[in-house]
Amino acid sequence: MEALPHLKNFTEVAEREIMTSGHVACPGCGAALAMRLALKTLGRDTILVIPACCWAVIDGPFPYSAAGVPVFQVAFETAAISAGAIRYGLDATGKKGINVVAWAGDGGTFDIGFGQLSAAAERNDDIIYVCYDNEAYMNTGIQRSSATPWGAWTTTTPGADFKRERKKNLLEIMAAHRIPYGATTTVAYPDDLVRKFRRAMSVEGFRLIHIFSPCPPGHKALEKDSILESRYAVESRVFPLYEVEDGTHYTLSMDPPKRPVDDYLNLQGRFRHLTDEQRAYIQQTVDEEWARLMHRMKVGEAIGG
Amino acid sequence: MPLMAASLGDMTVNKTGSWRNVEPHHVEQVAPCASHCPAGNDVVMFVTLAAEGRYEDAWRVLAATTPFPGTCGRVCPHPCESECNRTQLGGAVNIHSIERFLGDKFRNSPPEMPKASHTHKRIAVVGSGPAGLSCAYQLALAGHGVTVFEAHPQPGGMLRVGIPDYRLPSEVLDAEIARITDLGVEIITDTRVGVDVQFGKLMDKFDAVFVAVGFTSSRPLGAEGDEGDGVLPGIEVLRRINLGLPDEVGDQPLVVGGGNTAMDAARSMLRRGKKVSVMYRRTRHEMPAIAEEIEELLTEGIEITFLATPVEVLREDGRVTGVRCIRMELGEPDESGRRRPVPVEDSEYTIECNSVITAIGETSDLSFLPDEIKAKTSWNIPADELGRTFEPKLFAGGDVADGAGTVTAAIGYGRKAAAAIDAHLTGRELPTDAATSPSLRDRTDHVVPFEELNTAYFEDKPRFEPESQPVDERIKSFDEVRGSYSEEELLAEARRCFSCGSCPACDNCFIFCPDAAITHVKGDPFKLYIVDTEYCKGCGICAAECPRACIVMKAVR
Amino acid sequence: MQKILTGNESAAWGAMCAMAQVVSAYPITPQTTIIEELANLVAKGMLKAEFIKVESEHSAMAGCIGAQAAGARTFTATSAQGLALMHEMLHWAALGRLPVVMANVNRAMAPGWSIWTDQNDSLAQRDTGWLQYYCESNQEVLDTVIQAYKVAEAVDLPVMLVLDAFFLSHTYEAVDIPGQERTLGYLPPYKPSIYLDVNEPHAFGGIVPQDVYMEFRYKMQLAMDQALEEADKADEEFNRMFGRGYGLIERYHSDDAETILVTAGTATSTARVVIDDLRARGRSVGLLKIRLFRPFPAQLVREALAGCRRVAVLDRNICVGMGGIFAQEIRSALYHQPPERRPHIHGYIVGLGGRDIIPEVIEQIADDAEKRTVDDGRMIWIGLKD
Ligand SMILES: Cc1cc2nc3c(=O)[nH]c(=O)nc-3n(C[C@H](O)[C@H](O)[C@H](O)COP(=O)(O)OP(=O)(O)OC[C@H]3O[C@@H](n4cnc5c(N)ncnc54)[C@H](O)[C@@H]3O)c2cc1C
Ligand SMILES: Cc1ncc(C[n+]2csc(CCOP(=O)(O)OP(=O)(O)O)c2C)c(N)n1
Ligand SMILES: [Mg+2]
Repeated sequence: MEALPHLKNFTEVAEREIMTSGHVACPGCGAALAMRLALKTLGRDTILVIPACCWAVIDGPFPYSAAGVPVFQVAFETAAISAGAIRYGLDATGKKGINVVAWAGDGGTFDIGFGQLSAAAERNDDIIYVCYDNEAYMNTGIQRSSATPWGAWTTTTPGADFKRERKKNLLEIMAAHRIPYGATTTVAYPDDLVRKFRRAMSVEGFRLIHIFSPCPPGHKALEKDSILESRYAVESRVFPLYEVEDGTHYTLSMDPPKRPVDDYLNLQGRFRHLTDEQRAYIQQTVDEEWARLMHRMKVGEAIGG
Repeated sequence: MPLMAASLGDMTVNKTGSWRNVEPHHVEQVAPCASHCPAGNDVVMFVTLAAEGRYEDAWRVLAATTPFPGTCGRVCPHPCESECNRTQLGGAVNIHSIERFLGDKFRNSPPEMPKASHTHKRIAVVGSGPAGLSCAYQLALAGHGVTVFEAHPQPGGMLRVGIPDYRLPSEVLDAEIARITDLGVEIITDTRVGVDVQFGKLMDKFDAVFVAVGFTSSRPLGAEGDEGDGVLPGIEVLRRINLGLPDEVGDQPLVVGGGNTAMDAARSMLRRGKKVSVMYRRTRHEMPAIAEEIEELLTEGIEITFLATPVEVLREDGRVTGVRCIRMELGEPDESGRRRPVPVEDSEYTIECNSVITAIGETSDLSFLPDEIKAKTSWNIPADELGRTFEPKLFAGGDVADGAGTVTAAIGYGRKAAAAIDAHLTGRELPTDAATSPSLRDRTDHVVPFEELNTAYFEDKPRFEPESQPVDERIKSFDEVRGSYSEEELLAEARRCFSCGSCPACDNCFIFCPDAAITHVKGDPFKLYIVDTEYCKGCGICAAECPRACIVMKAVR
Repeated sequence: MQKILTGNESAAWGAMCAMAQVVSAYPITPQTTIIEELANLVAKGMLKAEFIKVESEHSAMAGCIGAQAAGARTFTATSAQGLALMHEMLHWAALGRLPVVMANVNRAMAPGWSIWTDQNDSLAQRDTGWLQYYCESNQEVLDTVIQAYKVAEAVDLPVMLVLDAFFLSHTYEAVDIPGQERTLGYLPPYKPSIYLDVNEPHAFGGIVPQDVYMEFRYKMQLAMDQALEEADKADEEFNRMFGRGYGLIERYHSDDAETILVTAGTATSTARVVIDDLRARGRSVGLLKIRLFRPFPAQLVREALAGCRRVAVLDRNICVGMGGIFAQEIRSALYHQPPERRPHIHGYIVGLGGRDIIPEVIEQIADDAEKRTVDDGRMIWIGLKD
């Protein structure tokens, strides 16, 4: 009797498990998976800084923690400086070879911690800053953030008052700081995620990884569809995967056949109310952003970033 | 207690398994290819092994169910491919070409098969077609003594005397039959049961008898003047060609019929330099011949007259000069589901020809059976799917039992009958279907449809067809028409297989679990993953992201 | 080594002597020269420290917290708006039990903008769980920085030392500087009891269920209780090694005084002169200086004040709606005395927004207090214009 040959879809994900089971993320949580994959890559010589966000809860109540590495929970707006400061503290006390990783939500990154994020990037603090982006304040029950996309329902953009502002482009802003390394990734592409963490670990200075992170309750999506949503986000170009070096040199990580943005929207109840016209508008903005990204990529090439 | 809120342990204390109301189960489900393979080949297994370059292992998987991979790789109409879920993403996997590659690769030096110790039971097999030889092969592997009686001078049944060399070269067949005789199977040729040896004697002398005499008699044309010289059954023409005898066909034959016999007869005639054409009473859509055969015949320049049938063979001095035909049109569907052809009034016309080859169907010839047995038969020998008949020691299979009309069906029938004979003779338990094709995990009998696959994990790569000989070359000889894969081509094609319902340990479930609740089982090649029920929250991502439908979500009891 | 230093420079040199390993700070008048001096000391290599140039005081404190959690000794300084901006993080440091040391230059809160001294900024942080020292001289500032580390690290609580804007921050005095080597004899290197250690991972600050939160608060209270003893010990030991001590409070001609003035910060120095003068004129007045405000040395205050007839508390702050904060604290410290040992306590609001507390004002307060026959608990505003 033969065993079927093994056919891995993803070859980069380490076997080791650092984050433990038993954490309190909702079923199907993209952020929990993102952490699990990230820690597999980062390894045990890692210090995590977690501001107020879902992950502050997910990790578990006192006296327990699921992370498996030291975790420092910090004030909502202080992920970047706290991580930076830990690095200064480690340097000052002669401790080397440790990844200091800020792990913040979109609220902590795009909004309340934005100034401190910018400052840490400007100082080029030697940290990996991870924003797991579920596109709203989920911990407090789905309020809009500046990462919430146009058209989305949240509890503070209810009904006809759905969000009318476009999402900030985080990586573009960070690239403008000329950080040494920035990347977008998402849970549907574990190899991409792992490679970007590995790449980030090999760079010194401020590194940013922006992870699109489906949230079943917050997006009003099915728990089982988190990976699908993440994949469609990339395929529809709502969330393109790319890297930026030194803020100028752009590399597209993948360019799958383009999927209509409707496929992505249709997975999520938070977009259910949108009319065809509104959907067309979203498609248009997505196409524009893509064109802009392509342009930046060309400019980067031209100046030999 | 620490000074501040500092953790002292991990979260495994929190058994989140209590949250779920559905849970994943790793299962093995049925791939449509395998469920449609009449021979019972474990298609997914041999294709995936081939994709890994593990050719011998792949060959062994095939050899477990068929002695004829090289043959089937050439002549099987491959229902596996018609059902293949790959059809919707670049075309069905070219399973038959993969099988053919494996058959050919080990044709001249087949790996040895483990043989059970001798049981001292002897079984007579009547007919050396694929059913008879498949049965003999399995019985020999099970340790039984087998003697095959064959009326023709060479073994192989229709593989030998029906299908021409340009589709199935005799060296392929020879080698595959040699592997059977190498197992100790005795084939006595030129011996017609009922003539050279009496059937009753076999029933007396042997512990069991398996009858697999196929369909050897041709249905008459049923047109005026169809008796006499110049009107020949297609299978007879093919027999002569295959055995190297003169064909006795004029230089302008008309082949009547739309099945494989018609196609093969016509194409053989073409290769013998004759001006041949085909007449079929329905349309191309209803033709029972394998689609590729029709296609190839047409590219070779042979014309088919559709919706017409002969009503009279015209003769001058006894010699055929032509055929009077009538046009047909399609009426209501008949019992076969195809639309019945009905003659169009006043539409008769005449065509020229100097021979008529009839190929409108074959049936069995059971004249060799003693009367008391024959009384219990009709067009066939009634048998269940394991070949068991009204007589405990009499088994039957292949065309003579079910008229399925394909090589693979005959092979499958032969294999199942062998299992039944073995059980009958040894008292061993009849293997269930599940046990005959090995299973790794909990099995369901659910056939995986395309919609249940997660095609995000499969590239949209087109099917690759090996090259055929150019038309103007190939019609000059009986050399094989179709080419075979190079190793590189084989690997590329085999890797297109989805392996529906079979888990190749792709690790998606392990990788995508947000709760780290799916772990690898170390050291057991068959049980690959364990769902940690203490922590699984039942989100269903593992099942959704399983490319191959190997995880089903079940309600928690 | 003696040097002529401003109060701000003294704070910086104190941190230098204590060998702070990470400085995280943001400028604000009148604190700015502290961090400028630190930047110089670091640039000259006199202080081997990482200097985090943050973008706000919120980050300055978050920076100290992060670095301290990584196991480093940290220092920062701020004032007024900066301190207020830190508020959230002050709790974080204290509940996180991180012995951060910070200098706060007392400055009045805006609006309208005032850069001059009063105590409302630091006293508004009274309940954050920080120790608070109020300093009177540049030497005391430097010495208190060093003592602050000793106490903070003994009890795992952060310490804020406070100096008055301009009166100290920008005023030069001769200051004795013990230097790093001698200080090391007094203050050994920082050994955190628990920190972010990849070899022994703990998660700090996760969710605390309702049934345990109180226990952490109680532990802080125990630490504050212990801090009182540690602060006393630290001062005594400092005195033994360096020949200077300040006590947690200071009693100046108060033992036999009928009227005792209470001050904190630079008003104390002025008050000393006034006391000397009044004494010379035969008046029975004395002075109590409060140096350690948190934990409040209630027992010492009781001992110092229980025998007198009246207490006049000079508050350079106002808890609007209730009165001077020092006065409230002293009232509540003395409440448990038997009536005969409970002096009248009069609270005076003076010198807000940097208004000078000149000797005449202090004398006016002493006069006023002596005239009062009832203790009505009302706040008394001194020198108000119409
Ligand atoms: C021209 C032609 C082309 C075909 N092409 C294809 C194809 O491409 N693909 C496909 O899947 N199928 C094809 N078929 C059908 C296929 O060959 C048969 O369905 C299959 O061979 C049946 O196998 P079997 O063992 O039941 O009988 P057979 O192959 O018919 O073998 C029966 C054997 O029994 C022998 N026999 C009969 N009576 C006696 C007796 N009394 N004593 C001793 N021996 C006896 C016969 O000589 C014969 O050798 C074709 C058939 C024909 C005629
Ligand atoms: C200063 C401050 N303001 C508000 C909050 C309340 N709060 C906690 S988490 C959160 C939202 C977090 O959103 P995000 O960063 O997107 O993370 P998510 O919860 O979505 O994972 C808010 C508003 C807080 N903890 N601190
Ligand atoms: Mg969020």
